[in-house]
Amino acid sequence: MPTSLASRARLFKEYKDVQREKSADTDILLTCDENNIYRWTAHIKGPAETPYQEGIFQLSINVPEQYPLVPPQVRFLTKVFHPNVHFKTGEICLDILKTAWSPAWTLQSVCRAIIALMAHPEADSPLNCDCGNLLRSGDLRGYQSMARMYTRLAASPNVSH
Amino acid sequence: MEMVLDLDGDRPRDDEIMAQHYAIRAEEAGKISFLGNKEPLSTLAAEYELGNSIFKTKIEKLGEIYGAIRRTRGDGNCFFRAFMFSYLENLLETKNNLEAARVKDSVEKCKQTLLDLGHAEFTFEDFLASFTEQLDAVQDVTLSVDKLVDNCRDQAISDSVVMFFRFITSGEIRKRADFFEPFIFGTSGMAVQQFCRTSVEPMGEESDHVHITALSDALGVPIRIVYLDSSVGDGGKTVEVNFHDFIPSELSQEKVKPPVMLLYRPGHYDILYEK
Repeated sequence: MPTSLASRARLFKEYKDVQREKSADTDILLTCDENNIYRWTAHIKGPAETPYQEGIFQLSINVPEQYPLVPPQVRFLTKVFHPNVHFKTGEICLDILKTAWSPAWTLQSVCRAIIALMAHPEADSPLNCDCGNLLRSGDLRGYQSMARMYTRLAASPNVSH
Repeated sequence: MEMVLDLDGDRPRDDEIMAQHYAIRAEEAGKISFLGNKEPLSTLAAEYELGNSIFKTKIEKLGEIYGAIRRTRGDGNCFFRAFMFSYLENLLETKNNLEAARVKDSVEKCKQTLLDLGHAEFTFEDFLASFTEQLDAVQDVTLSVDKLVDNCRDQAISDSVVMFFRFITSGEIRKRADFFEPFIFGTSGMAVQQFCRTSVEPMGEESDHVHITALSDALGVPIRIVYLDSSVGDGGKTVEVNFHDFIPSELSQEKVKPPVMLLYRPGHYDILYEK
């Protein structure tokens, strides 16, 4: 099967799976561009008991033609203050999106991994150095209040952005 | 290669890094195909002509038993790719339809293992099909060695089968986590789940004895690994070529000659042929 056919077939299966499982995972809403199966958008709920709680974060997902042998490109469209997310570009530092990718992952489980990353920031591999420095210097309050402020400013459902 | 720099930040963007990564891989791909032609063992000797005398002696000894070598690309997938070709070629040449049927049963068991471990079927069914299509073609006698060579050189088919092997290797390790845990922890310091996630499932991750044991057990196929390195036995007095046969437990009581024989040089596997 040529790679573009293989990726389409796989994405179509994921699409059906997402429709079927819609009610099971209410923290993730995955939608596919109706004209292009390689472009998806996800809305994820900020995990509870974190500064991202009550925020809804939008992710853009670009799927390459060699998918699922290579990872999708995922980034935050919503501003987020997190050590592993680039503050300007929304790029995410997560091993499964790079070297540790395997086709065992799906767009849905990638979103779950991103939610887990939000709850467990890795200050040692920061894309947002200011945020990483706050955590590394032990200023948890400083980190939390900054992250909470951006969640309110950018990720609150009732605020237009 | 020209690097496009992100003017907005101090580092290239991820997609740029990945694009460059794939470009480098593609460049490497141009140098040697996934699978080479069968070559006489003398080409291996030629490689070490100016080198280490231990290697030269070992290659001479190797030549007493093995007559030819077929090289694979050193892209981290060489063990799986070498296994794919070597196993299927052996099936073809021995016209062993019974074995083809037996291994299909093993594939079904592997599938069940993956489902039991919580994998959605759609994540691996296409890869599984790529392998069983090869087995079907062996049974229908529609596969020739030349066609098999083409298939192993065809990236879509070849990578897909490699990926299937990675899935079932990971499945076997996790299914028997208690057995594999000490080996994995001893060599990598990782927990079983972590090892499978970072060192088995991703393409391009190299294989060691843990991977070989797991694949051999999962499919029920014995594998011989012949080691070509600079080690010497008996305080340097004897130079022997070491080998190890990985025998699946259900065959461990029998005298079996592995259908798959691979030559290991640190970091790389090629295919060996007996004389």
